[in-house]
Amino acid sequence: MPAPGSIVGPVAALINEFSKLPTIGPKTAARLVFYLLNRPRHESQMLADAIMEAKDRVRFCSICFALTEADPCTLCTDEQRDPAMLCVVAEAKDIFAIERTGAFRGRYHVLGGLISPMDGVGPAELHVKELVERVGSTATAEILIATNPNAEGEATALYLARLLQPLGSLVTRLAYGLPIGGDLDYADETTLARALEGRRSM
Amino acid sequence: MILAHLALSNVRNYHTLDLDPEPGLNLFIGANAQGKSNLLEALSMLGTGKSFRAARDREIVREGVELAVMRGSAVTRSGNVELACSIAQTERGSRKTYTLNGHAVRYARYLGTLRVVTFVPSDLQLVTGPPSLRRGFLNAALAQDRSDYYRALAQYRTALAQKNAVLRAESVDAELLEIYEEQLIESGTTIVLARDHFVRELAVEAARAHGRFAAERERLDVAYAANAPYEAPTGDAVAAGLRAALRAQARTERVRRIALVGPHRDDLVLQLDARPLAAFGSQGQQRTAVLALKVAEYAVMERRADEAPLLLLDDVLSELDAERARAFLAGVGAFEQAFVTSALPIAGPLHPARTWNIRAARIEAVAC
Repeated sequence: MPAPGSIVGPVAALINEFSKLPTIGPKTAARLVFYLLNRPRHESQMLADAIMEAKDRVRFCSICFALTEADPCTLCTDEQRDPAMLCVVAEAKDIFAIERTGAFRGRYHVLGGLISPMDGVGPAELHVKELVERVGSTATAEILIATNPNAEGEATALYLARLLQPLGSLVTRLAYGLPIGGDLDYADETTLARALEGRRSM
Repeated sequence: MILAHLALSNVRNYHTLDLDPEPGLNLFIGANAQGKSNLLEALSMLGTGKSFRAARDREIVREGVELAVMRGSAVTRSGNVELACSIAQTERGSRKTYTLNGHAVRYARYLGTLRVVTFVPSDLQLVTGPPSLRRGFLNAALAQDRSDYYRALAQYRTALAQKNAVLRAESVDAELLEIYEEQLIESGTTIVLARDHFVRELAVEAARAHGRFAAERERLDVAYAANAPYEAPTGDAVAAGLRAALRAQARTERVRRIALVGPHRDDLVLQLDARPLAAFGSQGQQRTAVLALKVAEYAVMERRADEAPLLLLDDVLSELDAERARAFLAGVGAFEQAFVTSALPIAGPLHPARTWNIRAARIEAVAC
């Protein structure tokens, strides 16, 4: 028998489901559940419908592994985009960040993560094989590796560069530098040092 | 530098504490388990963000609460600084945050603001204990001295964990192994160079301090034993040394499935009159050498920052005989502020600026 005052039944089950989500712990999960229970029924219905709708209609593109409703995705089928330019990102959400800039008009390839053997993620766990096949089968002038500038992003970029360079395409990496509108004296030393290394003539 | 004010909230057995230490030597007397070591641990955390004894940060947060805060007002050469280190205990583990003058800062920026040299009973194993103790000794001093050292150390540890994971995998990915080794060489070179320069300065100071302590005319030699040898203390030579050692040990590392080469296996060589101190020294000689190393650490840190660090001595003076305790404090010489704990009043003339009693996490000045 549960202790008096403990949460049981459907409420406990829902808290348990929420707490499986990333960055949500049991306390936050409980807060979300009690919030939902205090709101009108149709709000919960909308949330549940939205989740199922997204889940049923969105899948991974079989070419680039971006999230899409149609397979292949519109990014892969858009004739306006340059198929010889390929941007490699870690996660599907990174595509949105680059698309927001409007400065890239090529195609994408989503790895599905970054290499980190200590977390059990090697090249075989990512869409690396598919990337190599793609580069091998289509004329690719440039492959831009746009992984995060952290330890895992760096190692992944280096690994891909070694793998892809022999295939004859130009392999590039996003530049390191200072945030626009920022202040020199607010930049941390590592960023500033990288910006110095990556300086260019004008 | 001087710590003019210390405030603790929910740190170990302290619910709240407000303390205005004096310049000079502050002596804290109290029975066991009253909060002496907790106070010094909090001071060390405030300076370095690290505890000298807790394995996990959550041990520092007082039982049953979610936030521990250490705050200090320091008078430094570059002005007055308000600094704070907080540990938040959440459902997903503990998180530390740092502020300087009320602004949140990264750890690498925070480190080195309030410099501390700690001396705790476990340091007495510095000569006879495992090499990890001596590397920890170097790291504690160098991380406070240079933020690039701390960064290199963090990068090195990550790359090392990745390399070990690659070596433990069923089939070793040679490309990945090479990538992590390049990262190890880059961060490792920074670490080795910093250690080399530091130990050169340390050796001079340690020999000098030892000369004053030792009754006999013995000579203490301190040398840096880098795991991967190099021809000269320059970036290129150190990187080449690491690369050559990695190549030479590659097969052994594959067979044993563990990274054997690099500064994570460095050590210090301590010799007395050209004989290894750990094997041949008497307990008294080993103890004197530890004191000399600690005095030297203090001297090098003071010279490099051009400012006296805080001296934190947790229950060590009572471990030493009166003569050594006096010699140690005289060796440190011009410290600006020291925090010394003891279970018993310390014999001999210590000349505390103030004596404090600690009882059940309450600290009261002894009327003088």
